[in-house]
Amino acid sequence: MEQVDARDDGDNQTADLQMTLIDQNDNERKRTIKLFSKDKGRDTWRMQFFLAPADVKDTGFLTYDYYGGDQDDDQWLYLPDLRKTKRIASSDKSSSFMGSDFSYADMTRRVLDEWDYKLLKEDLVDGQKVWLIETLPVSKAVEDRYGYKKSIVYVRQDNFMVIRAIHVLKSGNKVKYMEVKKIDQIDGIWVAVETWMKTTRNKRTLHRTILTMDDIKYNQDLDESIFSVRQLEKGF
Amino acid sequence: MSRFSLSGNWKKGFKTQSVMKKVVVLSTILFVFIIVSSISRADELEDLLSGFEEEATPTTDKDSEVDLDELLGGFEEENQSFTLSDDPPESVLPDWLQLSGSLALQSTVNFSQQAPLPGQPDYRGLSMFRGVAELLSDVHQDNWKARVGIAMFYDAAYLLNGQRQFYTDEFLDQYESEVRLNEAYLQADLSAKLDLKIGRQIVVWGKSDNIRVTDILNPLDLRWPGLVDIRFLRLPVTMTKLDYYQGNWNLGGMVIHEPRFNKFPVYNGEFYPFLRAVPEPEEPEVSWSNQQAAMSLSGIFSGWDIAFYAAYVFDKNPYVSDLESGQRQYANVFFGGGAVNYAVGNWLLKGEAAFWDGLRFSTIEEDKQRVDMLVGVDYSGFTETTITLEFANRHLVDFDDRLSQSPDGQKQDWQQFAFRLTRDFLNDTLHFTLLLSSYGIFAGEGGFERFQLEYDVSDNLTLTGGVVLYQSGDFPSFQDVGDNDRLLFEVEYRF
Repeated sequence: MEQVDARDDGDNQTADLQMTLIDQNDNERKRTIKLFSKDKGRDTWRMQFFLAPADVKDTGFLTYDYYGGDQDDDQWLYLPDLRKTKRIASSDKSSSFMGSDFSYADMTRRVLDEWDYKLLKEDLVDGQKVWLIETLPVSKAVEDRYGYKKSIVYVRQDNFMVIRAIHVLKSGNKVKYMEVKKIDQIDGIWVAVETWMKTTRNKRTLHRTILTMDDIKYNQDLDESIFSVRQLEKGF
Repeated sequence: MSRFSLSGNWKKGFKTQSVMKKVVVLSTILFVFIIVSSISRADELEDLLSGFEEEATPTTDKDSEVDLDELLGGFEEENQSFTLSDDPPESVLPDWLQLSGSLALQSTVNFSQQAPLPGQPDYRGLSMFRGVAELLSDVHQDNWKARVGIAMFYDAAYLLNGQRQFYTDEFLDQYESEVRLNEAYLQADLSAKLDLKIGRQIVVWGKSDNIRVTDILNPLDLRWPGLVDIRFLRLPVTMTKLDYYQGNWNLGGMVIHEPRFNKFPVYNGEFYPFLRAVPEPEEPEVSWSNQQAAMSLSGIFSGWDIAFYAAYVFDKNPYVSDLESGQRQYANVFFGGGAVNYAVGNWLLKGEAAFWDGLRFSTIEEDKQRVDMLVGVDYSGFTETTITLEFANRHLVDFDDRLSQSPDGQKQDWQQFAFRLTRDFLNDTLHFTLLLSSYGIFAGEGGFERFQLEYDVSDNLTLTGGVVLYQSGDFPSFQDVGDNDRLLFEVEYRF
């Protein structure tokens, strides 16, 4: 898992994200996001501007994601209906990200030391050799923060990408399945360009989300001023 | 004091009925909330009930293997063949221009009003049936952007309920239809550290969400207490605003060119707090001598934010300057304040303080000073839920007993509480909001409670239903509003 953590996932990234939310009746909702991301050592600064649908358009979300679990992330949300930026205090990362099947925890990097690992077996996925690794939270606090009591991740042996994950939720008898459907190598960096996540209970799919990334660029000249409340309020 | 001249027993009977109604409605709403909450708790219940089975059949290594295989098999299912709908067509507008807005139908039905006296409007039943439209146009270029927003409504309720002839022209001017220019500004980056924004705009000060202690620059639309959409609550004012940024700090300076004031309920309407009409206040003209000024210094740091504010502005509330004629004016006031918030875990602690000087009242000649304090907390530790509690105290310095007389009706200290609970269900398609706003403890000096369910039918279409309950009290704008309880419905399309 250290090699997974150490994998080059790029820096100074920009991308267009589209999340398609699909309910049990196959009704779709779409969210479009412009993403800016910058690494600050092991921390990550992230700016997201919501472009669609209309009821969230111009909403901005700025996070300073601190890698160490001992410092709470800084988060600010710009609410266009209120014309106001609000600081968000939430160390709980288990809530849904914009109504999707991805939680805030899924959208950020896991802290390596907060999980215990056990190699379950080796397998093949789409012809690629993978390790199946069980991860368990080291404490109740970590379990509460991520909302998962257990995860099984599929790590590709050739590029150390997590291409599948199974997350057993700590409550609700639910299991989430993450599957990377499409990967691409951009500027030498492997990136998941289409990821599916579904939430199930008793093997029945309750809801699913398809996350696609377009126009991905790395090593952009992203000034630190982009990751500011000033920019959050000005919008994209 | 009641608007009508009625005997004490008659009033008491109606008050008892009104309280009973509120208890029934409140109980129903709480019951609905518990049912809705239980939708998400059904999972936990299922877990609890299945606990007996786990006791009876202890897990073996073999079972664990089966569980693992079952888990791993979860990828293979029907969604492999799922096909997404096509993306919406590309906009025909050029990249630099964006149009957005909303169309809505809003309706309210009063259910606690009494029968009217002859010649008075009947407030029972349909009280709003309003079409609302908002259009925003945004123009973006490299280092500048501009926005123009227009909002309008037409309320057909006064025609539909057959009560139009009982309302005054002044009332209908304010409540039946309106077209207004909202924001209209030009924003530019003058340099890497300097921003300019000029035009009609909204500037939000403070850290609190429900009670305004330092958020004083924009007047409010208070014509429908507890009912105005947050998008339309603050009224933009024309100003020139310069912001300078250095490190974690932002120094802002504003010259406010347009004197604009709170919009209050109008005589003849159910929210009007007085027995008779009083003359409209004299509004200061836009002139050099009526320019207002404000400045702020804000710092943003890891885990906490702080801001300091100062302003020399018009008080947004008028005072009666001549008791005989009832003439009202707006006073110039000095405002100084500060706000801070501090995040720890799932808690956001908020504090605000303000000092006012130059406040004018009707019953005394001299200016008064007031000190306002606010403490509040947000808690986000429950899944998909945010709970906010805020408390403010407004203290008039060197209180003069004459201030308690009409028309001022002041107290040395006013306490205000606000409690808000929001929770999202069904992957953010169903939103529950509970807002309790109270002057004094348990709305003893007036208040309202709003319960609302909002359902996103699609990305663009939202249905809203709810109920607002009012309590009368001594707080000036909450005198005799207790019969205004109403159900609300809204259909909104945003684009």
